[in-house]
Amino acid sequence: MAVRAAVEALLREKKLDRTLTSALPERLGEDAVSPLGISALDSGLAGGLPRGQVSEVVGPASSGRTSLAWAALGAATRRCEYVALVDTFDRFDPPAAAACGIDLSRLLWVRGQAISKTSGALDPAWLPGVRAVGGPGTFVERVIDRALKSLNLIVQSGVCTLVVIDLIDVPAVALRRLPAATWFRIERAIEGQDTAVVILAATPVARSTGGRSIALGEVPTGSALPTDNALPIGSTLPTSNAPRQVLWKGEHDRTRRLGGVRTSLSIGAARWSRAWHVQVDTAVVVEAGL
Amino acid sequence: MFAAFYSPSTPTAVLIDTARAFTPRFEQVGPLVLLDAGGLSRLFGTAQELGVHLREALGATPRIALAATQTTAALLALGRPGLTVVEPGQEASALAPLSVSVLDAYDRIQEEGSRADSPGATPKAEGGWSHPRHTHQASRSTRRAGENHQLDVLAKWGIRTVGALAALPGPDVFERLGDRGVRWQALARGEDRRPMVPWVDAAPFEASLELEWPIEGLEPLSFVLARLLEPLAERLEHADRGAAVLSTSLRLTTKAVFTRTLQLPAPMRDPKTLRTLILLDLETHPPDAPIDIVRVFIEPTPGRILQWTLLDRAQPAPEQVSTLLARLTALMGEGHVGSPSLVDSWRPGAFEMQEFRVASSELRADDSALAPLNSELLTLNSALRRFRFPIPTRVQVREGRPVRVVTDRQGMASGAIVQAAGPWRTSGEWWSEPWDRDEWDVSMADGTLYRLVVERSIGQWFLEGIVD
Repeated sequence: MAVRAAVEALLREKKLDRTLTSALPERLGEDAVSPLGISALDSGLAGGLPRGQVSEVVGPASSGRTSLAWAALGAATRRCEYVALVDTFDRFDPPAAAACGIDLSRLLWVRGQAISKTSGALDPAWLPGVRAVGGPGTFVERVIDRALKSLNLIVQSGVCTLVVIDLIDVPAVALRRLPAATWFRIERAIEGQDTAVVILAATPVARSTGGRSIALGEVPTGSALPTDNALPIGSTLPTSNAPRQVLWKGEHDRTRRLGGVRTSLSIGAARWSRAWHVQVDTAVVVEAGL
Repeated sequence: MFAAFYSPSTPTAVLIDTARAFTPRFEQVGPLVLLDAGGLSRLFGTAQELGVHLREALGATPRIALAATQTTAALLALGRPGLTVVEPGQEASALAPLSVSVLDAYDRIQEEGSRADSPGATPKAEGGWSHPRHTHQASRSTRRAGENHQLDVLAKWGIRTVGALAALPGPDVFERLGDRGVRWQALARGEDRRPMVPWVDAAPFEASLELEWPIEGLEPLSFVLARLLEPLAERLEHADRGAAVLSTSLRLTTKAVFTRTLQLPAPMRDPKTLRTLILLDLETHPPDAPIDIVRVFIEPTPGRILQWTLLDRAQPAPEQVSTLLARLTALMGEGHVGSPSLVDSWRPGAFEMQEFRVASSELRADDSALAPLNSELLTLNSALRRFRFPIPTRVQVREGRPVRVVTDRQGMASGAIVQAAGPWRTSGEWWSEPWDRDEWDVSMADGTLYRLVVERSIGQWFLEGIVD
């Protein structure tokens, strides 16, 4: 710690503290995190998603990644906070989200462009004004660019305390083309603020120093076995060839219905010596409607 | 507390300017001006001191009265010279020595004032047209009332002072003098028969600028708007008002008038915020020709009164939220920014967009809402990622059940279906936009869970979403 303090002091002296490390002291206390409201998961996250940091939730399709992001949004709205979802490709389903516990009146939903079968088919209502005409890059790149600009605007305004950007269906090539300064700028905008940013993606994208990486549906390889209290009662770790398992209810074809998915979850952070693993079940809920 | 001053020798414009210098809430009835003096004590001191300030402002030798009711203040200003200040509760005793002729004078001033304000007065002056309601029925009752010679009746009864009239039994006064008698008696007791109707300027929050040279683009317009909005914001602040509706009219070089109106979610008067909102709106809806004249009109509304709390997280300011929404709307387009809300329909995925609003008065979340969910078992509710445009899919069906999915969409798994549940049949709204379909939840070999839908009317399979 002494070495670290000395290095940070030297950086401050050279006025490099804003570029290489945080000039602000680490936030402590209950208010420093945005809990998910699930004690088993919050303990793995050291309280919840850290405020003023960029975290990421990644995983393959049907691994529960979106469910986890919605759980975070729902928990924040239950605490009477305002949250935002930057929905790059307009995949959000409000009835399902309401059934999952998100208070929709506290959600700022920024809808991107829903891409139809042919990528050239645009929603005409989406392109008003002069800015929308043309623009550099491919269509998908412009969609991503707008989503990132929206994210920038939201985090700079400080209106919402939890902001999720959905980049799940963004091609990996397009994500790799994003300048590294993109996430650095976001990180600097929320540093010391109450806002927590979550990147929802299929593959790891970015995370700030104090942020968390939550990976779902992956086989825990080369990691320590989870402690007993990290596992729910009666659950077992998924085997290496079945990182996630679909749960069905009912034996007969006519009575069978989807129950959910059992998947593995690992949480990592920059200064943690090892990742924290746990098994998660997702449960299909009936959409309540009005 | 109300103040009244009566100065028949002073021009009306001077009376109004004097009243406006003290408070924006005043009412002018002929040579009589009524002021709502509530809240002026911090500026002018006690009622006596306020009266002195009024006398100094008016200059001449006006009759000034301050009392708890506007009627008392008005009658005393009419009936007593100099400055009169009445303590609350002393209205009747202060009015008692006045002559009953004061009531007649006050009645006449009010009638003249209402006749001048009546809708029939202006058209008559302009084109000779007047509504029958203002020519026959209403004016007939006024004339009859004027011809009653109520003062003579009271004189015959020996009622000379206001106090004597106030002491008469109310039902007997009504039997003998009718409504007018009851009204006079209420005046004599210092009771207000109607609330004060404050003076409203014809177009108080409007500013326009004719440009020497037409301007094109938003950057030069930004400077023009700043010049117009800053004095308007200052006037709003003086009147303790905020902008509820912001209207911008641009007269173009084509002689067309381009108007944009913004409904603001909360009253605001920060000129920078107002200018940003106008510019962002014009960025989305730009005028199609250079601009000749810029006119800004603000519809005012009372300012916000918020009770803050130390126990809850600070709520974002409405100005912040409005600016953010305007910026996002300019970037993403209308209908793509807001809060979703559920609609009363069984249509799958039905919702509508509402404006994102930050409630000004928040209730603290109760403990049940803050309690952790599923704290024992680590279970999340499954999310559904819905394709806004369902993807047409080729599905192989065996014995009525899907067994294989093939899709052309890049990144979507095709192949054999491991397990399927369904069909869940729904239909509805046959009267407008009907739907009739079967839903299937299927799992693929790689663990992906699809929601497949077959539209029964056309027999086409679609990939509607992914359970994630």
